[in-house]
Amino acid sequence: MKLPPVEYEAPTTVAGAIDLLAEQLDEASVLAGGQSLIPLLALRLARPALLIDINGLDELSGVSVTDGRVAIGAMTREYVASESEVVADAVPLLAAALPLIGHEAIRSRGTIGGSLAHADPAAELPAVARALDAEFVVRGPSGMRVIPAAQWFEGYLTTARRSDELLIEVRFPAAKRGTGVSFAEVARRHGDFAIVGLAVSLVLSGEVISDARLAFAGVSDVPVRATAAEDLLVGERPSPELFDEAARRATDDLDPPADLHGSSDYRKTVAAAIVRRGLRAAADNARERQ
Amino acid sequence: MAEIVAERYTGASIKRSEDPRILTGAGRYVDDIKLPGMLHAAFVRSPLAHGLVLSVDVSAAQVLPGVVAVLTGADLEAMTVPGPDPLMALLGWAGPTPEFTLLATDKVRFMGDPVAIVIAESRYLAEDGCELVEVDYDDLPPVVDAAFALDPSSPPLFANLGDNIARPHSRHEFGDVAGTFAQADRVVDVHIDVHRHQNVPMEGRGCVASWDAGRAAMTVYAATQSVHITRTGVATRLGIEPDQVRVLAGDIGGSFGLKIGASREELAVAAASRHLGRPVKWVEDRGENLIASGQAREESFDVRAAVSHEGDLRALDVKTVIDTGAYPGMGMGAMVPDIMEAMLPGPYQLAALGFESTAVITNKATYVAYRGPWASETFVRERVLNLVAKDLGLDPVEIRRRNIAARTDPPASMITGRPLVGVTSKESLDRVAQLLDFPAFRRRQVEARAQGRYLGIGVATFIEAAPGPRGPDGALGSESMRLRLEEDGIVALFTGQMPHGQSHQTTLAQIAADEFGVPFEQVRVVVGDSAVVPFGLTGGSRSATMTGGVTLHGARELKAKVLDFAASLMEVSAQDLLITDGNVWVRGDPASAIAVSEVARRAASGQFGADVDAALEVEATFDGGQGGWSGGTHGAIVEVDAETGLVTVERYVAVEDCGALINPAVVEGQIRGGVAQGIGAVLLERSAYGEDGSFQSATFMDYLMPTTCDIPRIEIEHLETVPLDADVNFRGVGEGGMIVAPPTVVNAIEDALSPFGVRIYEQHLPPARILELIAAADPG
Amino acid sequence: MADITLRVNGATREGSPEVRKTLADFLREDLDLTGTHVGCEHGVCGACTVILDGRAVRSCLMLAVQAAGREVTTIEGLATDGGLGPLQQAMWDSHSFQCGFCTPGFVMQATAFLADHPDAGEQQIREALSGNICRCTGYQSIIDGVLLAAERSRDIDREG
Repeated sequence: MKLPPVEYEAPTTVAGAIDLLAEQLDEASVLAGGQSLIPLLALRLARPALLIDINGLDELSGVSVTDGRVAIGAMTREYVASESEVVADAVPLLAAALPLIGHEAIRSRGTIGGSLAHADPAAELPAVARALDAEFVVRGPSGMRVIPAAQWFEGYLTTARRSDELLIEVRFPAAKRGTGVSFAEVARRHGDFAIVGLAVSLVLSGEVISDARLAFAGVSDVPVRATAAEDLLVGERPSPELFDEAARRATDDLDPPADLHGSSDYRKTVAAAIVRRGLRAAADNARERQ
Repeated sequence: MAEIVAERYTGASIKRSEDPRILTGAGRYVDDIKLPGMLHAAFVRSPLAHGLVLSVDVSAAQVLPGVVAVLTGADLEAMTVPGPDPLMALLGWAGPTPEFTLLATDKVRFMGDPVAIVIAESRYLAEDGCELVEVDYDDLPPVVDAAFALDPSSPPLFANLGDNIARPHSRHEFGDVAGTFAQADRVVDVHIDVHRHQNVPMEGRGCVASWDAGRAAMTVYAATQSVHITRTGVATRLGIEPDQVRVLAGDIGGSFGLKIGASREELAVAAASRHLGRPVKWVEDRGENLIASGQAREESFDVRAAVSHEGDLRALDVKTVIDTGAYPGMGMGAMVPDIMEAMLPGPYQLAALGFESTAVITNKATYVAYRGPWASETFVRERVLNLVAKDLGLDPVEIRRRNIAARTDPPASMITGRPLVGVTSKESLDRVAQLLDFPAFRRRQVEARAQGRYLGIGVATFIEAAPGPRGPDGALGSESMRLRLEEDGIVALFTGQMPHGQSHQTTLAQIAADEFGVPFEQVRVVVGDSAVVPFGLTGGSRSATMTGGVTLHGARELKAKVLDFAASLMEVSAQDLLITDGNVWVRGDPASAIAVSEVARRAASGQFGADVDAALEVEATFDGGQGGWSGGTHGAIVEVDAETGLVTVERYVAVEDCGALINPAVVEGQIRGGVAQGIGAVLLERSAYGEDGSFQSATFMDYLMPTTCDIPRIEIEHLETVPLDADVNFRGVGEGGMIVAPPTVVNAIEDALSPFGVRIYEQHLPPARILELIAAADPG
Repeated sequence: MADITLRVNGATREGSPEVRKTLADFLREDLDLTGTHVGCEHGVCGACTVILDGRAVRSCLMLAVQAAGREVTTIEGLATDGGLGPLQQAMWDSHSFQCGFCTPGFVMQATAFLADHPDAGEQQIREALSGNICRCTGYQSIIDGVLLAAERSRDIDREG
């Protein structure tokens, strides 16, 4: 399982990286944390002509807050994000999901941007981004674009990033008062990809749910917002019966993929359980955070 | 019994002498070997399960810079001699013998079947070269399940066999099977499946082969459970004498039965080295290990049990089909039924047993030995006991108590012949029941169910022939060892054992140090050199008794010899001498002490005439003494999440009897490792094939290994054993955990799911399957 | 090929690896530091774990060229004065390992983890090591070794 022959460049500026992308287009892969890309190369499932290593682009790392939004540089390591007090405070759903990503050593190198650009539908961060309507800032030869999460995830491992664009940062809305979150997942083992996962962010105003965001991992080729469930929840008080009904609405139209770890029916069944558990946990979290 | 003045080491958890190098990265595994001029090999492997090879075009690969040679199956046939697998030859297989070439020539028979070998300056370049080899295949219909393999219309994988039968159907009966069934109050009839899973040592297979053309000598640095068996395999295949082959093994990263003999790939590497006159290294990567190294346990069972209303298990009639994959000649799958049959009664008193078996050939990786290869007999028996108990409304502990043979003198015999001498199954069962506190658990279980939580409890009992009792025809084989007092005073033990995690370099030194009378640090265990050590094999849970025994008796013989020599040095009678703490001294006169190292130095000085035997070396053999059984009972408490199917093992206890313990920490490590593999088999591990024979669990993302979060603390108790032999009561423990853990866990899962009416007739229970079982069951 | 310089176990080392060569292979083949083991080459088993700039990383998931200018510690670099460090000693005392193939990865991962979480309890340690696979031990003895090391280190702190 040795990597196939490949060229390598390590640009020292964002502009330099974009120039390379513009030149190579689909022949190049961006090497960020490498935790997803290197295995694909080792298995010879990916055969880029060029690796553009962006680990030298220090300006792409960092967590900052502007205008009620938390901007996380694409090269921010997952472990850095999970230790960030800003993230814990202002993007608690991200903070809840990060410890579930793989293992310590993966999070040492893996990046927020890398995971979101790779867009594995069974991964945690895409579901978080989709739930929170994160914004993806890309830059290319023709300038900057800001792409909302709903349009970012186009298909299996496919995003709206054009081949000549680099993901610069991801912006998350800062959590409002009364927010409660959970990331519930069913995985075969601790740290594995979710067979089914659910990112939940609720806002409780008093005892009433004033905002509800639910996004699934592992039920499709992209993360999926459970909008029917969200519509049901807003304006209601948390209760087991409400959550049961939300689970039904969230999963009725699901047609999850089948693989070695579960059939489509299994995923659908488990998705319903995850909705109930996730909503309960998020509601509890909201009360704790108040 | 010889006098041992201070028994300091045997029985204590002496720290391992292996560990300083293991813990500092100074171990030497095959992939650490680097020889001048060494090349690297990779294999072109079939992407198809079954196909004709129409052509192999190596021209593009050959001219890739860095590629030194590409050898096809045909090239290798021209430079090697066909022959049986050395282990199968040693075990005396006399059944159908498929004929096949070292690498595939006309046909490929499983996905991953090696077709050509590329040798290059680096493994990276060798893999590049493999991609350039063009093989033209013609698909053949794949034979992917036993049913089709049994069907005479299935395309035969081997032309010389004409069908896909690796072991023809046979049936044996013990006792009056028909009569016992006819008189039974009830007959329970079930079908049980055990799924395909595999060894997965952390280090894959591999070797470095180095041909010295000048001396016509082959050196193989191997990862193997027996340097001698590997040597035989290499010599036979290369058509040279065994003494032209030297096999060396250093540290080995686990094996669990996989690395025995010489695989087709290793033989191809040896041939390539001779062809090129340069050392060649091949270490399989994880993909090769999962796809091609071999798999195990794919067996199905039709089981009939004759029982009384009160729960007496009077007879079993078992019909098994074993899927030995392709190339059954390379693995022992076809021989497993014999051991299963012998062991099936376990410690229970059966009046009759019927056993019939067939082994079939399919387009899958070869069935290889995997820790306790016969283990499914325990799975079947311990599952059937629980199923019968359920039918009759009996407690799983009670039904076992009722059926375990009482310990009598003379001992009862298994219906298949071996005497149940010294078997403490009843004691271990009672102790497990005590530890788990069934009544308290049942109360907790009821409370949990009221909250929608499903807890379950399960037990299972086993015995293992480690090495087994000496009975009427109880040949236990023999084990050799050379022991020598080296010139510097080191007591050197030369053994054919080939430890790959078993800690022999520590345990055997403990025994020798005690017997001989030197400090532990003054004993060196020499392994892993076919030119230097006697024949041996590490496997079958034999070494505790066989090698422990030959060490004990050999050390005594060596000590006697040393004392005779010392007596002439010191001009006293040998009976007046003791060896303790590395000194030889006259009983009652501490001032007389001479260091053993000084005695050794004098012996090596060559000063003595023919009347003094100064060759302080002995060749010892041991026939197993009285042998004995190992065994025990395991128990588990699990929780099943009925909404997701996920299972947590909350508590696991093992009460084991493996005789006298040489090193408790080593014993416990073996038990825990085996249990972990058993838990892995039930909850996580499956070697999955698609209907077209494509292998689907080729990475660690799909073949799931248990981790720290999947294996609980395992509580272990050892029973005070029944000594059978005057001296050697160590018994093997390597395989027991893996044999009995699967039924223990499955029994607990079924108990957890009993409110749903679930009955379990299989061993692999991933979450999706648990939900299927719940959905399909009838609680009424 | 790329010429790189990096610090390994406190010494400056150089090499000219192919750009596609992993850090694991570079350490083992170019620098003859065979203590780091390769168990899967797709980032799951953890046998290849080393410490890079203070963080445990999977060296099979990094290119050697990416380690240029970095500080790498491998298992060979832990022992002080050629002896055993405290974690290694505790693991020896606890009979942590059997075949030893997974050992370097566990030792490096546990070293990094304990440096950041000296008071970790068993469950935390289990989770931290859940990305390292061992086939021989069933893990309990490894966990015990880490717990013992942590306890001894706290005893030293208390005494000091």
